[in-house]
Amino acid sequence: MDVIEVERIRKSFGHKDALADVSFSIPKGEIFGFLGPSGAGKTTLIKILTAQLNPTSGQASVFNQPAERMQQSAQKMRFGILTDNSGLYERLSVEENLELYRKLYDLPKSAVDKVLQFVNLSGERKKKTNLLSKGMRQRVMLACSIIHEPELLFLDEPTSALDPVNSAHIYKGLHYLNEKGTTIFLTTHDMAEAELMCNRVAILYQGQIQTIGSPKELKRQHRENVICVDLINGESYELPINEGTADQIADWMRQGLIDRLETKEPSLGDIFIKMTGSELL
Amino acid sequence: MSISLKRARAIFVKDYKEFSRNYALSIMLIFPIIIALIFKRAGASLPGASGFLFNSSFVLLTCFAQACLIAEEKERNTLRSLMMTPATTMDVLIGKSALVFVMSAVVLAISTLLFGYEPANIWAFVAVIILSIILYTAAGTICGLFSKTLLEASLSILPVAFIFMGAPWGAVLVKDYPVFKVLDYMPSSQLVHLLGLSNTGYTTGDVLKPLLINLAWTVILTVVSVILYQRRLKDE
Repeated sequence: MDVIEVERIRKSFGHKDALADVSFSIPKGEIFGFLGPSGAGKTTLIKILTAQLNPTSGQASVFNQPAERMQQSAQKMRFGILTDNSGLYERLSVEENLELYRKLYDLPKSAVDKVLQFVNLSGERKKKTNLLSKGMRQRVMLACSIIHEPELLFLDEPTSALDPVNSAHIYKGLHYLNEKGTTIFLTTHDMAEAELMCNRVAILYQGQIQTIGSPKELKRQHRENVICVDLINGESYELPINEGTADQIADWMRQGLIDRLETKEPSLGDIFIKMTGSELL
Repeated sequence: MSISLKRARAIFVKDYKEFSRNYALSIMLIFPIIIALIFKRAGASLPGASGFLFNSSFVLLTCFAQACLIAEEKERNTLRSLMMTPATTMDVLIGKSALVFVMSAVVLAISTLLFGYEPANIWAFVAVIILSIILYTAAGTICGLFSKTLLEASLSILPVAFIFMGAPWGAVLVKDYPVFKVLDYMPSSQLVHLLGLSNTGYTTGDVLKPLLINLAWTVILTVVSVILYQRRLKDE
């Protein structure tokens, strides 16, 4: 079953198309990465899917219902959202912030303890949020967005400007949530993050999807048809993949000369540059 | 439009905690009391004193506090987060207005006692004060929703202060400037009429007219604030 279906969505602001003819679907339980540089239209799409924006044309559905219905309370119980527009109440403690969300989602008291353990902040529960580090604040905001264990989670660059330790905390938590059945829609301009987290990714550039598939598939599609060989004497070769190369490699192996052997696989970043001709910002 | 009192109460409790720790805003609670004490010394029979006390309290406390509470949520992006929860428009607006309502009612009750004002008709007085608190809360909500920051909210109540607080004084000039007749229909002018009822005699019309005019203002401003909030749910 598809949790999200997007069909030929276009969104224009004035004469500029933020999204142009975007189509894709996300099955239940997937971690889907929407990749692109800043200003590519990633946040615009999240806003359309969560009924904060109306598309200029095309159709978007979430949980098999038109996306506009995501403004209804019953639908808001089913998804969580963390964007750079999310905020915390600075004069309240971590626990008081979460207590508000617990009551708004009508959850049992144990939900706060559970989510605090989940984001590894049980020890900071009494701390005012204005005294927390950026990474901790981001984890509190994540806790607010997942306290109700949503079926679908929208994350808009959740680890931007976080150090690797805090990012790792968040990745671990998100994998755990996904194992429990939460579908995750993640936007990022961090290709390494996408590779680590996502089952499938779409690369968005200038409002259009350039390519879509699993990171492995995309790498295979864009792999150069060469094999790299490093010999123990320090010589390196890039050879085309054919019968002659196979014989040559077999020969080197018999002589015990091979130090390293690998296909030349591009990173997602390389694929992005190849497809768009742009560096990531 | 559904209302969950549980959610509204959660927002009220959150706002109470935030407000009690926000000294820059909570200090506004003492202004009506200070004005009441100053005017009491000057004499409770001073013309226009009771009107000034109540009208300035509604602007400086009710309208200003509500505008700041809403604008601060916008400035810190917490209003957007709140909008993405199951809390409905009415849950949020009732929850956020309840604190200002309770605060204004308590502070005005204390100020009235300190000032020594004795209304000619206690029920009409209570009704007009309740209507005024609701309408100035709605005006504050509108100012807050139009502002992006706390600073903008502070500035946005200036026109409200000028028009609403100044209307009863402007109405005095109606003989020279007939256009000022319109100011007589402002809620602040109607409040002054009602506060000025004589203990020795008044008609039902003297009581009903200001109440109905202020009821109309309350309904209009409340509807505008709800519509404006719903428009803010969208990011268009």
